[in-house]
Amino acid sequence: MKLTVNGRAHDLASDPLRPLLHVLRDELDVTGPKAGCQQGSCGTCTILVDGEARRSCLTPLALVDGAEVTTIEGLGDATRLNALQAAFHQYYGAQCGFCTSGMIVAAHALLERNPAPTRHDIQTALAGHICRCTGYVKILDAIEAVARGETFTETNGDRQPGVEESVAKTGVSG
Amino acid sequence: MTSEILLPTSQEEAIASFGDGGGLTVLGGGTALMPELAAGGPSGLRVLCLARAGLDGVSRSNGSVTIGAACPISALEELDEPLATAARHVADPEVRAQATVGGNICVEASAESPRGDLQAPLIALAATGRSSGAGGERTEPIENFLASRDGRLLLEVSYPDTSRVAGYAVARRPHAHHYPIMAACAARDSGTTRVAVTGAARTGHRCTSVEQALASGATADDAAARVVDDVAGELRDDALASAWYRERVMPTLVARALAQLEEGSA
Amino acid sequence: MKAVGARLPRYDGLGHVVGETTFVDDVRVPDGNLWARALRSPSHAARIVRLDTRKAAELPGVHGIVTHEDIPRNVYGHLEALGVPADEPLLAEDEVRYKGQPIAVVAADSEEEAQAAVEAIELELEERDTLFDIRKAFDPDAPKIHPWGNWFPYFGGPDEGPDRRKVRKGDIDKAFSDADTIVQGVYRPAAIEHCPTETQVALVVPEASGRLVIYSCTQAMYFSMGVVAAHLEVPLNKLKFVGGTVGGGFGGKVDTAAETLSGLLALKTDRAVKWRWTREEEFLASSTRAPWHMEIADAVTSDGWILGRKMLTLHDAGAYARFSPYGLTKHAFHHAGAYTIPNIHFDGFVVFTNRVPTTAMRGFGVTSVSFAVETHISRIANTLGLDPYEFRLKNANRVGDTTPNGVTLTDPSTVATIHAVAEAAGDTLAPEYAAMTSEPRSGPLLPDHLVTQQRDGRSAHA
Repeated sequence: MKLTVNGRAHDLASDPLRPLLHVLRDELDVTGPKAGCQQGSCGTCTILVDGEARRSCLTPLALVDGAEVTTIEGLGDATRLNALQAAFHQYYGAQCGFCTSGMIVAAHALLERNPAPTRHDIQTALAGHICRCTGYVKILDAIEAVARGETFTETNGDRQPGVEESVAKTGVSG
Repeated sequence: MTSEILLPTSQEEAIASFGDGGGLTVLGGGTALMPELAAGGPSGLRVLCLARAGLDGVSRSNGSVTIGAACPISALEELDEPLATAARHVADPEVRAQATVGGNICVEASAESPRGDLQAPLIALAATGRSSGAGGERTEPIENFLASRDGRLLLEVSYPDTSRVAGYAVARRPHAHHYPIMAACAARDSGTTRVAVTGAARTGHRCTSVEQALASGATADDAAARVVDDVAGELRDDALASAWYRERVMPTLVARALAQLEEGSA
Repeated sequence: MKAVGARLPRYDGLGHVVGETTFVDDVRVPDGNLWARALRSPSHAARIVRLDTRKAAELPGVHGIVTHEDIPRNVYGHLEALGVPADEPLLAEDEVRYKGQPIAVVAADSEEEAQAAVEAIELELEERDTLFDIRKAFDPDAPKIHPWGNWFPYFGGPDEGPDRRKVRKGDIDKAFSDADTIVQGVYRPAAIEHCPTETQVALVVPEASGRLVIYSCTQAMYFSMGVVAAHLEVPLNKLKFVGGTVGGGFGGKVDTAAETLSGLLALKTDRAVKWRWTREEEFLASSTRAPWHMEIADAVTSDGWILGRKMLTLHDAGAYARFSPYGLTKHAFHHAGAYTIPNIHFDGFVVFTNRVPTTAMRGFGVTSVSFAVETHISRIANTLGLDPYEFRLKNANRVGDTTPNGVTLTDPSTVATIHAVAEAAGDTLAPEYAAMTSEPRSGPLLPDHLVTQQRDGRSAHA
């Protein structure tokens, strides 16, 4: 079976019913998608299959033969964040980080088909994604910020802004 | 043990591969099968995958709406009521885009939840199912198919393409991925009302007692109360709700679905 | 003070948003690792009649099985360092006391082979009667959970009985005889599973020197290190913990769950071993927030003063004590809430049942009592026909008030908090209440019954 993951082509001889999640994590070492429940109920394993958001734990390898798979790693990296990644960082949409890759991938699929979603649209699109830390508000804020075209300065991950820099930015001094 | 997968690329090939279904597991979108495998289900399955068999379309022709068994549930969200609303209540958008109509109709209820939540709206729409298996192909009312689906490969479902009023009332699930605890579906077409419930019994269930009461002029509330007769002895007792609870709430849901018929026709 | 008031980026935020953060299950070992699975008790309460792992050990892919016999020190208490005696075996020995309690663990080449071996372990149990309702734990005919009984017997202190956490203050009998009304309530918040999106997981890699490298999702690194060292009876320099990346914990990853048994399997097989719990295991066998039973009776006056409080708390520890005595102690400190009550009679028990052991969760022991106290305060206001804001503001802690355990408050924030709540809710307070502050009580805010309690306190800084 053939699979392209984040632009790299792979030829796989795995069990056709093996969940794509396990193929990605254990065979291809792509660990961005997480195994939160392996029952399709938490959203942490969400990836893109030919651009559409899918649960990789529910997807047998046979169903994606020949498909193009994109994971969180394929959307951007620390030196070049995509807008959603930058927004999640800036709006504190990621807390423990375990649900984050699934959230961002699902939000990416939403914005691809609906660039101007309402807050309700975002809530509906993310209905299958569980976050136990944030209470969701910051996640929704981050996606809304991207949808309304906000630009993000913190896109260069080489340089974590230090305390001084943040203080200067917010105008707060101690 | 490695699984074996059959990937027919046409309906005819799928029918031939299925034969009488012996030793085969049919794979639609995988949303029911994969969690069972992850939870320690059987390995080394022989699987018939319908993804490429050309059974994933929706068509309107000759007075019928026809839905392929491998059609994703998301494709039903804009179809006729009460099917569309029921489809929007299935899991979340990503699961709906992967799960199939055929899977929802053919999956067995589990110990935890009733599943099969599109069966009742299809019964209310007077849908038929076309299937193959031992003895060849047959087309029958969907409730008959549900009663004898073992060893059958569902190919498509169809319902009359007419204008009707519909009602849908649901006891909501506590979480996106739970099945509805129960739902009542009603559809009225040319003065005839069909009523069905999901979550009450082993499969979606047509409520003939309610229908007969309506036909003989009972009020909607009085007719709704008859649902207890329709599901007597079959009420589910599971993690979502007890049989005791279902028996008491089901009439209310049926009454609400019937009330929507009056609003719809007004 | 540069960080205060500033919006600083999360130190680990960038890794999270690009999927590069390495959680324990993301760690890869060069030569790969074995996979662990546990045999867990299918019964809520039973005597172990027979446990035989010989057939399981012969199955393909199986490298090692650990039972209680392999553990240098099987019984160790989470609070042993504080003098709380141990009560919980790492692997069940003769009794199982909750469904899901681990009995044996297997390491194999794959999770499937490990699971097959678990299912091949022969286990014979003799079922015992179960106890789930903490209110029935004190009945003479209640099933006995532990040899010493059904509630924790080791609370110390010169003024306390050994079997409960007691708080006494003022003259409770006088408060109740002086009262215009007694307002009673019973509050029973249920257990809650923390449900972190990352289930319990550990990876243990043995080094040539015999040191174990333990990748852990614990919320309490150094504490977990101590627990592992105690069970293994090794000095701390034989353990290297790698942690600090936790996929959600909320208190549920304070108990040491997977590290010790994974370490024992790594030692036995001399291979790296990873143990990741399934979601089902997480729900079945990981600790939860405790269920509580709280009874409050308050002696109150018609004009809105609380003269005294009698309270009984039953804290459901589940089958073993773990941190519950600590949780109940915090609970006891907070049982008057943010209000000043001069006469107190509090008894709290840590009660054992056949539930999964309970543990910390976001304000261990305090959230339950806060829920009960605030609900009760509203109930009193309703009973007396008083405005709930005004009733709260009168009784709210002021500088110089003393807590139930005798600490004098120097900077209480209750008044400001209630003002903020009213503002957020869009409710307008009467001018005299809106003008209240946390300044020491005087005039109408210092009735006779509060004079003595202010004199009896100890300074918080003493």
